[in-house]
Amino acid sequence: MTTTHRKPFIAGIAVLVLAALPVFIHDTFFLRVLTESIMWIGLAIAWDVLAGYTGYLNFGHGAFFGAGAYITAFLIKFVGAPFLLAMPAGGLAAALLAFISGIPTLRLKGAYFAIATWAMARALQQLALVLDITGGPDGMRLPPYLHPQFFYYVMLVLVAGTFALMWYLLEHAPFGLKVKAIREDEAGAMSLGIHPTVIKMQAYLLSTVPAGLIGGVYAYWITYIDPASVLGDLVTDQAVVMAVFGGLGTLIGPIIGAVIIYFFKTLFWAYLSDYQVLYLIILGILIAMSVVFLPNGLYGTLTGRTSGKAAIERGLAIETKAKTKEAAHG
Amino acid sequence: MELLPQAIVDGILIGGIYITIAIGFSLAYGVMHIIDFAVGEWIMLGAFTGYYLNLWSHIDPMLLLPVVFIVFGIVGYLIQPLIHRVISGKKGNPVLMGLVFTFGLALVFRGSGLTVFGFYSHSIPAALARNSFFIESGNFFLTIPHIRFTGLFYAILITVILQYILKSTDFGRAVRALAQHREAAGLMGIDARRISSYVYGIYVGISAMTGVLIGCIFSITAQMGGEYTVLAFFVVVLAGMGYLAGVPWAAFLLGLVQSFFMIYFNPSYTLLAVFVILFTILLISPRGLFGKGV
Repeated sequence: MTTTHRKPFIAGIAVLVLAALPVFIHDTFFLRVLTESIMWIGLAIAWDVLAGYTGYLNFGHGAFFGAGAYITAFLIKFVGAPFLLAMPAGGLAAALLAFISGIPTLRLKGAYFAIATWAMARALQQLALVLDITGGPDGMRLPPYLHPQFFYYVMLVLVAGTFALMWYLLEHAPFGLKVKAIREDEAGAMSLGIHPTVIKMQAYLLSTVPAGLIGGVYAYWITYIDPASVLGDLVTDQAVVMAVFGGLGTLIGPIIGAVIIYFFKTLFWAYLSDYQVLYLIILGILIAMSVVFLPNGLYGTLTGRTSGKAAIERGLAIETKAKTKEAAHG
Repeated sequence: MELLPQAIVDGILIGGIYITIAIGFSLAYGVMHIIDFAVGEWIMLGAFTGYYLNLWSHIDPMLLLPVVFIVFGIVGYLIQPLIHRVISGKKGNPVLMGLVFTFGLALVFRGSGLTVFGFYSHSIPAALARNSFFIESGNFFLTIPHIRFTGLFYAILITVILQYILKSTDFGRAVRALAQHREAAGLMGIDARRISSYVYGIYVGISAMTGVLIGCIFSITAQMGGEYTVLAFFVVVLAGMGYLAGVPWAAFLLGLVQSFFMIYFNPSYTLLAVFVILFTILLISPRGLFGKGV
């Protein structure tokens, strides 16, 4: 029983340490780096909830981030809405997008879903480029709110809250078992009365709404968004590589992946002038190589935790052992 | 009214190019059940290979097509074992890992393309690109550039050759058997790995050749890959994934959609229209227009 209580405890301590950091750090650049790494942790976990737990790869993750950013920016700039109202609207926009793209594709094989989400991200970027209201390729400028600490805490609360919710739903509540059952054997899960499309839709929402909310915070924090920065491929590419490299199907893996890769990105950005293109190559090599050599990701390889059938088999073995013990005692 | 025949002819001519973009892709999907996110990047790499070969040797790009096919066929043949290793792995979800792998491959190619070829756009000078057929009678007026006509011809040629190989040779029968039932084909003595390597090689070769053709007709940049990946996806989903006979119809439809948007509406909405159609198809008939996809 100890392990189940230890994990939230460690997570709580980590959040407290992170919450105390701005008291000691007055360097704005460093605070910005911290905020952004928390943001990427959030995006990577959110991507992994769908990919790792249901086996559906969302190659349009950036679209949800971007939609959240654009809706929030739009409400703040043209409607004059307060940030704390505009940000949830970004989450709603992401949810709407998830409904539109999920309903036709989530009942199909994963390949269709991957294609549809990828194409949707492209279409959305194109839409932001041609519409007048989004400012086209020039993007949108927001009234600046220069308070780095505020954004640090908003991001921290948002990402920690997301993590806690996901941890509860996927590792504690029956929802997680249903999701995993569908991933391993959809027909088998259906025979047990689980409605796969509904569960997948819920997991999809769980993955995309946080991305939209994070996008909203990002827009108000950076105060400038354009189609290339928030709707471009880089958001998706980065979230994918972080989750895959860290370990699919775990909640800790993407955190590790996000921290390592974001650290590298910052180093790159600081020391190389034409980093963006080279960074693309490195991201690609990292994705391809981790798939070939580290199919369980860094976390899975180091701890022996896997997301696939091996884990279930191990779980079954433990359960049988416990049952035999019980039978022997009773 | 005078624009209508031109729009239809343009659509059919552009559609021809889309056949070749999608046919190899559909074949590879049918045999390996893996979607290659790098399809547009293969086109881009092929186009630049054609561009530089032409710059260096001054041979007309139309004559370079076989060279590009052979070079990229070998590249694809050599890369396939890596994909095979990923999709036949015991751990996790191999098919999805295959998707992630090609996604990574696409990133590497795009990044390398941008590093090596830069951000500028080029076009490959072909002798055929200089002239057009003109058809004129009264207020009826048609322009058909030679090069676009050649593109359509080339697309039909590739389709016919591919159909012949698949229908009438032992290799083709093995490929079809593999696409139908992998295990049963293996039991009949078909070497799935070798055949898959050949198929992937053929697919990469065809895509790269198409890149050269696109370079002669339109222009090429290191970032062009994404656009053609969308178009390839569109055609393949519309045709039904892995259903080769549906590809030409879906490709012509895409060509027509594009030329109508180009002439009658705003060309920048083309991609959106493509997406909306793709979506409607997925909603109504996910196995394609003919309901024969896998």
